[in-house]
Order: sequence, then C-alpha cells, then structure tokens
Amino acid sequence: MLETRNLSKSFGPIQVTRDVSLKLEKGERRVILGPNGAGKTTLFNQLVGELRPDRGSIHLDGADVTGLRVADRARRGLSRSYQKNTLFDGLTIGENLGLAAAVALGKGQGLWSDPLQSAEVRETVREVAAQVDLAPYLGARVDAVSYGIRRQLEVGIALATRPKVILMDEPTSGVGPEMSKGFHRLLKGLPRDLTILIIEHDMDLAFDVADTITVLNYGEVVFDGLPEAARGSQLLKDIYLGAWEDA
Amino acid sequence: MFTHTPLRLTTLALLAAGSLSYAYIAGFFGLEILAEIAILAILVIALDLVAGFGGMVSLCHGALLGVGAYAFTVAATEAGLPALPAMLLSVALSSVLAFAIGAVCARSTGIYFIMATLAFGQMAYSFVFQSPLFGGDDGLSGAPRPDLTAIGIDFTDSRAFAVYTILLVALSYLIASATLRSGLGRSLVGIHHNEKRLRALGLTVWRAKATAFAISGALAGLAGCLAAQHTQYVSPGLLSWTVSGEALVVVILGGLGTLVGPLLGAILFVVLKHEISAITPYWHAIVGLILIAVVMSRAKGVFGFIEARWEARSPKPVVKEAKADA
Repeated sequence: MLETRNLSKSFGPIQVTRDVSLKLEKGERRVILGPNGAGKTTLFNQLVGELRPDRGSIHLDGADVTGLRVADRARRGLSRSYQKNTLFDGLTIGENLGLAAAVALGKGQGLWSDPLQSAEVRETVREVAAQVDLAPYLGARVDAVSYGIRRQLEVGIALATRPKVILMDEPTSGVGPEMSKGFHRLLKGLPRDLTILIIEHDMDLAFDVADTITVLNYGEVVFDGLPEAARGSQLLKDIYLGAWEDA
Repeated sequence: MFTHTPLRLTTLALLAAGSLSYAYIAGFFGLEILAEIAILAILVIALDLVAGFGGMVSLCHGALLGVGAYAFTVAATEAGLPALPAMLLSVALSSVLAFAIGAVCARSTGIYFIMATLAFGQMAYSFVFQSPLFGGDDGLSGAPRPDLTAIGIDFTDSRAFAVYTILLVALSYLIASATLRSGLGRSLVGIHHNEKRLRALGLTVWRAKATAFAISGALAGLAGCLAAQHTQYVSPGLLSWTVSGEALVVVILGGLGTLVGPLLGAILFVVLKHEISAITPYWHAIVGLILIAVVMSRAKGVFGFIEARWEARSPKPVVKEAKADA
C-alpha cells in the first residue's frame, strides 16, 4: 500500500534520512520509534510531499508518487496528522471536520452548493466525530476547547478525508496518561483495512497497536520487524528502549 | 464560516429599505452621493470577499475597478457596443485579469501578497497613464449609461441611475454571499485559517485563491463600469493604489470579514467625506482619526462592534470539556 525505496534527505551536511526503505501492506499498523532527531518527522514530511527527497522513491498503492505535490498525494488517499496541532482555529470542530470531508470529496472548489450542508459531508462528520469521541463538541470553537480535544480533532481531520493510508505524528504528544488511553482505544477502533503509520513515544501504546515496528536512528532504519522481536533487541535497548525496559 | 445571522439580515433589510426610500426622496445632490456610495459598496464587497474571508489583502482592486471602467468606456465608445454587452465584456476582462493576478500571487502571503498586488496595480496604472490609446493623463469621456428608454427607464435621470446602482449592490452582495456559502467560499475561509492543512487535505490552494480573486475582480470590474457610467468620464486616477487603499480603509472601518460591515463603511466614508470636506479640506485626517479609533478598539469595525454588543446580550450555549479519556 505504501512503500519507500532508499529514501534519502540531507539538510546541508546533515543527513536526516538515509536509504530508508519501508513496505506497508494494506491494513498494516506500523509504529516508528526513534530518539529525538532520528528523522521520523522528516520522513513523514517526505512521504506526504512537504519535503522533496534527495534520492529514492515513494509508492502509494503501486504508483510512484515521488514527484506529486502534497494535494495530489492527499487526493490519492494519503492523509496525515501533525505533531503540533494544525487546525482551523477560528472555526468550530464540526466545521473543521466538514471542511476536511468536503475537500476530500472534491467539493472544495464548487460554486453552486454548500458542501457543509451536503448529506455526504454531514454523514462523514457524524461518523468521524463518533470515532474520535468529539460528537458532543461539534458546535464548539476550536480555540475554546482543551488541548486534549484539539489533539483528538487533529486526528479526526486526517480521518475525515477517508484515507487509504494515515500517517500520525505523535498523536498523544503532550496529553496525559488518561487521554493517552483514550487514543489507545481510538486507534484500536479504526477500520482494520486502514493502513496506519504512527510516530509514537508512548511505548505501551506503540507495542499494543503495532503489527510491525521500525526504529530509526540518525536517519537510518536500524530495526524493522515484529513488536516481540523489538522488545528483545539489545540494539534497541541501547539506543532507545533502555529506560522503558528498566521502568 | 460566513453565516447570515438575524442581526446581519436585519441590517441588510434596513439598508435596502433605507437606500431605496432615500432614492425616492433625495434631490440631485443626494442621489449623486447615493450612486457614489453604491459604487464604493460594490468595490468593498469585492475586497472583503478576498481580504476579509480569504486573508488576501489586495492593493490592486482600484486597478481592477479601473480596468472595468476603461474596458467599458473603450468597448462602448470606440467599439460601439451597446452598454450591456460592453459591461459584460469589461466585467469578464477584469475577472480574467484578477484570476491571473490571483494565480501569480497565490504562493505569497501577508506583506508579500500585498506588495505583489500593489505591483500589479501600479503596472496597470502606469500602462493606462502612458498609453495614448487610453487618453493618457486626460482619460476618456463619453461612457454611456444603459439605454432602457424602450421600457420607460431613463438612466440619464439621477433617480433611476441611483436605483440601478443600488440594485447592482444587491446583486453583488448576493454573488459574494453565495460564493462564501459554496465549497469555494468554505475553502477560502479554511485557507485564511490554515493554508498548509488545507493543502495537506487535498485542495489545490492556488486555484481556489485565483478563482476567488476572479470573482472579486468581476465585482470590482462591475464597480468600474458603474463609475464610468456615473461620471461618464474615466481617468488613470481610478487605477491608482490610493483607490485600493481607500477601499481597504472602508472595509476595515465597516468590519473586515463581515460582508455586511463594509456596506456600512461605504455609507460612513462617503457621508463623512462630503460632510467634513464642506467644513475643512483636511477631511482625510478626520477619517484617519476615526479609523485609528476603530482599529484600536479591536472590534471588527463598526459592524463588528455592533455584533459584539449584540452577542454579549445573547445567552451562550455552555460547552462542557471532555473528560480526559472521553
């Protein structure tokens, strides 16, 4: 469903991703681990087209999308959520989800009707709001709700496009343990045919939802395998998991 | 997102009733002022559409108005087209030009967008100013008013012309509000709030911006046609950046991003201009002081201030916060 081949990117002398090759099957849930500065978000930025790789290629559903722009990749079913909330702050939660659904349904440039009133968009908003536990807050303005609700909305907007592949950049970033459990349930409840790639530092969540785990270090894939193998890997303990394993 | 609140609808109804009533009781001078207000109102509706809702603060709307005025005058006088086809042609030309400007400027934001539109506007101004085809500094005269005498309407009569301009303000408002409630309008507001996210959702942002700019340009072109018909004379001054700047002042004064507010702004601006200029030639300074007061009050212009007071009186629904693990 999503594949990268030898993806490489440098910022000046610093190589931030180095020959990263990944292959995600349809419905696979893969967690990307790695210390700060490992190149995880840079990898996401290349996958969605916000950054151009220096070398390598990206394939979505069998097609090479390396040269496509951000919007073109999104229209092919690639969606993302951001580590730092990237919302439509002055609008309500319902309008945020509706706008995302309208654009994804190709109603974002129409002139003859209000997409937010269309049955298709309203249905998507209702479903996604239920998925991310935002149904009671659809009328609330984004800048008037708590940080945790905004994190839920961050993922909700990405889901409202009905993607084939969703990239989630630290969805639990900055939320407390209870909210993290909520995300845990949210992820578990997503359709099984949705391919998910998550950057996550919450180890419990990572190992619970992951079918496979990839570990990046200095922009390089140093581990790629099943969660069970990751738990026992000495290399991972050395570079990343030591503190978690000891805890 | 743009909505028609009861306050906005009430204001629109009062403005429509008030302006039409005034058109029937006013004398010649009053009717001339009414037409001037209506023409400015169409221009500021056009500007608020892109600046207030799309965040595209333009300093080329004067030029788009001027292009409409000149195109109409040339089409009607040189090419000999009847007024209505000449209007359609000039509105289309302003719209196409605005689409091109919007497409080129779409990648820039903030001050860079403003400067890019200013550059386009000044290019148009210089071109018209220096071109003998358009009469240079002398401008062109002879722009006709539509001839509807066959159905008993004489637009050389100030009253009929004022009513005609008011009806075109209503049409412009309907076009702008319908645009804002369409998919394009919803996206435009989304672009204003978070362009990056909307692009990541799959929107071709430059095209949405350029299309909105084209609709806005068409309305500015319509204002230009009416300006030409009103004075039956066009000069390069119509394309000057000061016209764009004045329109921006009116939008901010009335209420940026409210669509209704700029209509109030147009009335306020033109009335103040005529009333204060009768007392002192420094009327711009007085308007400047009022503008500073409006900006410092942090309200969305005069109409924003009224809306805020209105909303403060209305009970607000309480939104409960989610439980952490809701």
